[in-house]
Formats: sequence, C-alpha cells, structure tokens
Amino acid sequence: MASAIKRLDADEEVPAEAFDVEIVDMDFHVNPREEELRRYVEDERALDRLSTEFGMWPIPDKWDAAYAIEEGNEGLFTQGRAEVVEDVQRACERFAIDEPVVNAGINGLPQQHHPVLKNAVLQAGNDYMLDHFVDEGVYTALSIAKWDVEHALDELDRWGEEDGVVGAYSWYDPREPWGHTQFDPVFEKLESLGLPLLLHGSLAFWPQHSYVGDNMLTWTEVLGFDWPIYTMVNAINMIMSGVFDRYPDLNVVFQEGGHWWLPFARYRMDEFYEMHPEDVKITPRKYADGERYLDRSPSEYLRDNVYVCTQPFALPRRAGEASDMLRLSMAKDTFCYSSDWPHQTLDPPTWFFNSRAFRDDQELRDAILHENAYDILRT
Amino acid sequence: MGESDTIDRSAYTKVAEEGDVEEGRGIGVDVDGIEIAVFNVGDGDYYAISNRCSHQQAPLCKAGEEKINAEHTWTKTRGGVNTEECTVSCPWHLWTWDLETGTNEASGQRIGTFDCVVDDGDVLVRV
Repeated sequence: MASAIKRLDADEEVPAEAFDVEIVDMDFHVNPREEELRRYVEDERALDRLSTEFGMWPIPDKWDAAYAIEEGNEGLFTQGRAEVVEDVQRACERFAIDEPVVNAGINGLPQQHHPVLKNAVLQAGNDYMLDHFVDEGVYTALSIAKWDVEHALDELDRWGEEDGVVGAYSWYDPREPWGHTQFDPVFEKLESLGLPLLLHGSLAFWPQHSYVGDNMLTWTEVLGFDWPIYTMVNAINMIMSGVFDRYPDLNVVFQEGGHWWLPFARYRMDEFYEMHPEDVKITPRKYADGERYLDRSPSEYLRDNVYVCTQPFALPRRAGEASDMLRLSMAKDTFCYSSDWPHQTLDPPTWFFNSRAFRDDQELRDAILHENAYDILRT
Repeated sequence: MGESDTIDRSAYTKVAEEGDVEEGRGIGVDVDGIEIAVFNVGDGDYYAISNRCSHQQAPLCKAGEEKINAEHTWTKTRGGVNTEECTVSCPWHLWTWDLETGTNEASGQRIGTFDCVVDDGDVLVRV
C-alpha cells in the first residue's frame, strides 16, 4: 500500500490547539535600533553624548555569558528583531500568541552609570513605544527608572493614563530591593493608575562586578540562578517590609526570574514569620504605621500580589509531577505565560498542549495563558 | 545519504524532487503520520531526520528560515543547516542535531533518522 504523505504547513510552529485558546504573552521584546532611538532623545546635550562612538550603552560587561550558546550575543535576536507592529504580528502568528505585551527591552540600561543619559535613553524608548505600539493599539509596558524615583514619577505622569499602556516595566537587580520605602511614591502612583509593576532581569546585572559573580562562569549559573535569587530577594523583601499592606492593590510581575521557587518561598516564609514575627514592627513601614505584624500570612501576599512569568517553563516530563509542582506553586493564581521573544530562551506555548497536566486541567491552562494576565493588566 | 545505484523504490516514499529543496534548507513532510524533516546539504546529498526537536518539539524543517528584520541581525537565519558539519540547529533554541546519527552531543539525546536517497531526481525516504 502506498504511503500517505503530505507536506507540512510551513507556518504552523506550535500545536494546532494553541490557536483555539486565547494567549496573552506577558514578555515580548521589541528592539528599536539605536539610530531610531536617538531620534527620540529630546535633550540636545544628552543627544550629543549619546551620538558618540561609544553608543547609547557604553559600559560592557567583563565577559558575556551568551558565549554559552551557539550564536553568542546574537542569541538576543535568535528569532529576529521586532521594530514595528507588523513585525510583532508576524512573530505572534507563528506561535498562536493573541495579545503580546510588548516592551522596549533596553535591559542593559540599569548598569549604565550616567543618570542623565540613562533617563534620556529610557524616555526615548518610551516615546518610541508610544509612537509605534501604544498608538497602534498594542498592549505595551513602558519603562520607569528604578535608579531615579522622581524620573519614574515624571514618566508615569507623562503617559500613565494612556490607553494601551497596560503596565509599567522596570528591573530587579542586586541593588536596593523593591521593598525599600523610597519606592512608595511609585507604588502609590501605580496603584492609583491601576498599572501592575513588571520587573525584568537586567542583562547588566548578570552577577559580574562582585566577588561571587566573578566566579560564575557559566550561563547556567548566571541566567539560571542569579536572576531567580534576586527575584526571590525582591519578592520576599516587598512582602516582609509591608509593601502590600500599604498598597494592597499593587500587583508585581517578575519576568525571567523563574517560578519553581514559589513552593520554597511559600512555606519557608510562613514558617519563619510565624515563629519569629517580633521584628516586623520595627521595619520602616510598620514602624511608621504603628503596626505590629503583617496583616496576613506572607504566603497570602505571594498568592495575591506577586506573579511570575513562566519562561522558560521547564515543566517536568511526568504529568503527575508537573501537576504537583503547579499546585504547590499556586500557579492558578500566580503564573503568567511569557514567550521572551526574540531571545534564545524563547518559550513557545507548547507545554500547555503537550502535557497532560494541562490537558486534564483546562482551567489552570486558561489561568496561565490569559486570565491571570487580564486580572492585573490595565486593559 | 546520496545517490544510490540500486534502489528498491517500493521500500521508499517519494517526498520531493531534487529542485524542491534548496541547498542548506529543508522541508517538512508527514509520511504515514510521522513528521520528517528532509535537508539538502549539497552535492546531491539529502538527510532525513525527525522533524521535532526533542527539547520542545520545535519543527526542525524551519531551520535556516530568515529572521524577522534579518538585515538588522548578524546571523540572518533562525538556526540552520551546517552543510560541512552535516548538522542542523533548531530554529527555536539552537540545539544542534547530527543529521547522520540524530544525536545532540550536549544532552546525549537522540531523535530518529531515516534512510534518504536520491533516485532519478526523486528524493526518497524509507520509514
């Protein structure tokens, strides 16, 4: 009997079922080119410096962890480079992504040392995104400076009420964690605007320039574990310092910081806090507010105020183990799908259609693929 | 695998004609429900390998496709075929697969390979 043969659809890259489910992608990177960004730098003094041969982000890392992958630093553009809406649409069609939340992805910015130039580039990136994406009706997360609270507030004043801006984008790093009270005006503003705070790992804070970081020589250590460590540090610091008691409607999304750490943090925070809670009253917010304890158990803030992006998912192959991990991670309340397009760590939404953990629990699948995102994004 | 002197064509399935697949690229076909990627590595040599990367089920036949705004990137393509090394790198995460053995050296994993010959201008695969 002759074999049955057919040519495969060249445009279909993920399981066909993926096209039947709404998918929101919480972390889709646009990469404007430097010459395009420079056109949006309004301050001539800053523009003059940013136009030199040193470029817009001149401080290099000591070494580049991207050497670990076949294409080296080109791994940042493994899938290409989205610059305008049509590029994003082409990419999303391949992967069944319905609503990408785009950001300008200038993740090397926090490490740059010059405050005026950093702010100028950040502002230019936001203006580029306003022109090319917000005005085109694409969900967009615009950037705010972690290094300059006043500038962050100015930016939120400038575009915070724009339709299409669905979140504010910033970074976590080894510097002051986000639980510091200096960020309270930002939290207050975000809460009033109804915008979640999306915190992304920063390329610039791959753990170099420190004793520990200097000895991290592999991608697995640097991207695989340094970012999750600082994600945990920041999430737990925000919880234990009472950020969410003072700003209960604030939602924070950690991007590329891993997600399987949630069970560890969930149980360990509660255990330690319940046994040793008496120092909470002298943390700055609680001290100022005259409160003795957190309003709730630490794990409840993790469930209600903290979200984590799934990329890269790394789901256990055995569906039973995957289901257990998802349940312990409170994934139905905390996980948001993200692709990280166009990077080498791209995560197409295959897991949700290939694993029985999701085929048997479509509520969970829908929560991760779009419901949790819609719960917190200002759409 | 390339041109063969004596081919029992009844054991093979025609998946393409030589001109259908440009050098350094591949096509994806479904033969009796099995997804296969067929690559042209030049000099009349073609290789057939499972179309799905074992890592995350990416379609390997897309390797070498032009990136979005490729002119603003360095390597221009999503993964690709290395005709000298006789390997294909995955369009999603660049896992490199040996087209002869189906192995990925770093992980030690292996995916299926299939006999592939050219006969009278036809590219044939044995499943």
